[in-house]
Amino acid sequence: MAALRSTSSRLLAAAASPRSTILPSVFVRSMASVGNATVEANPKSSTDSRMKSFQIYRWNPDTPSEKPRMQTYTLDLNKTGPMVLDALVRIKNELDPTLTFRRSCREGICGSCAMNINGTNTLACLCRIPTDTSAEMKIYPLPHTYVVKDLVPDLTHFYKQYKSIKPYLQRDTPAPDGKEYRQSKAERRRLDGLYECILCACCSTSCPSYWWNAEEYLGPAILLQSYRWLADSRDERKAERKAALDNSMSLYRCHTILNCTRTCPKGLNPGLAIAEIKKEMSF
Amino acid sequence: MASSLARPLLLRQTALAASTRRAATATFARQQLIRSTITKDTARVAAFHASSRRSLLPPGPQVIKGTVNDPAPIPETSPSHGSYHWTFERLIAAGIIPLTIAPFAGGSLNPGLDAILCSLLLVHSHLGFQSVIIDYIPNSRYPKSRKAAHWLLNAATALVGVGLYEFETNDVGLTEAVKRVWKAQA
Repeated sequence: MAALRSTSSRLLAAAASPRSTILPSVFVRSMASVGNATVEANPKSSTDSRMKSFQIYRWNPDTPSEKPRMQTYTLDLNKTGPMVLDALVRIKNELDPTLTFRRSCREGICGSCAMNINGTNTLACLCRIPTDTSAEMKIYPLPHTYVVKDLVPDLTHFYKQYKSIKPYLQRDTPAPDGKEYRQSKAERRRLDGLYECILCACCSTSCPSYWWNAEEYLGPAILLQSYRWLADSRDERKAERKAALDNSMSLYRCHTILNCTRTCPKGLNPGLAIAEIKKEMSF
Repeated sequence: MASSLARPLLLRQTALAASTRRAATATFARQQLIRSTITKDTARVAAFHASSRRSLLPPGPQVIKGTVNDPAPIPETSPSHGSYHWTFERLIAAGIIPLTIAPFAGGSLNPGLDAILCSLLLVHSHLGFQSVIIDYIPNSRYPKSRKAAHWLLNAATALVGVGLYEFETNDVGLTEAVKRVWKAQA
């Protein structure tokens, strides 16, 4: 139950009530939401309810001839967690079990819950719900993707492209000490800002160039990963990796629009990585 | 995995069925005007890429080459369309800057310098438009339009080249023209 209340209200309640000095011996954690919660049965009954509307894109593949539509759900923010994913989970649990979305780790590590929230591609689990209750929130699937259902995009081609850059260490010579491939600290530092990418596809689906030419252009996420292996001092197939990018489509459809860098929920810079690849390949 | 393979297939079939029905009704358009508008709607919605009627060139149903576990095909290596092309493009773009400033900073109008500036501008804009064509007319979907656009661009570039040559040899030249326009009295 405690999880449904915001931190501030919990602190206020704790300060107001005469606190017993003995803490409970068993620490009880509740789920993100409770089954018997009355969501909007009588919103006016509680004096401090903050009702916020969420407009969510709905499309069902079982009825493919039906147009996609926006469905509005209203939640009390006082009973909802702070992030958009909390709201989505609560809608699915309590209002509409047919709402479909991907989620897994709820802390920005898995990249499953990437979606377009209020016009920006981001992870629902890292995006705070704006406290302004007068404005509606609009949630769409990632733009220019083929939709599987509701907020679930089809990332098949994205993963196939990832596979095409051979995202693994390629080496022919064994390690000198026969144990492991060693790196200096400086060499390891080159991989910072590259290895953190979780392949959520937020950047690729925000790139106009990737919208128009997704079949052949690799897109910022895959190119960042490409550079992650080009920058790795242990990899020995750099020439082959560069040759695979050396055509008009794979790399050079990037026109430095930098939507990728702006939208990245992990704060990485795919635009810079692409520029580094171009520089490495230029002379 | 079976469901992930079946689903695009289902969508494709829906879209195909709608479009073939649409083609069939086109022949009996007069008798079945109402029906054809309905199937047109179905095709539009079943293909499901546009919620607006104004959509220009909507993308077709999803096409996945090979199985989901195959890597996406890698295009052939060709530096003249890749890295050399990119370097060439940047060198020309960087070269235009001093050439634009030089005649005004130096105060002299050298026809040789003017000619170099003109040819660099011509190549620069040709490469720019080439990029636009590659971006907006995908070869996989509109190969004929792509080819036509490229030839149209080549013709335009040749025409502008001839025009600039005439302007440089028989008239005052680019830099002088800009100078005169700049200082023109209303």
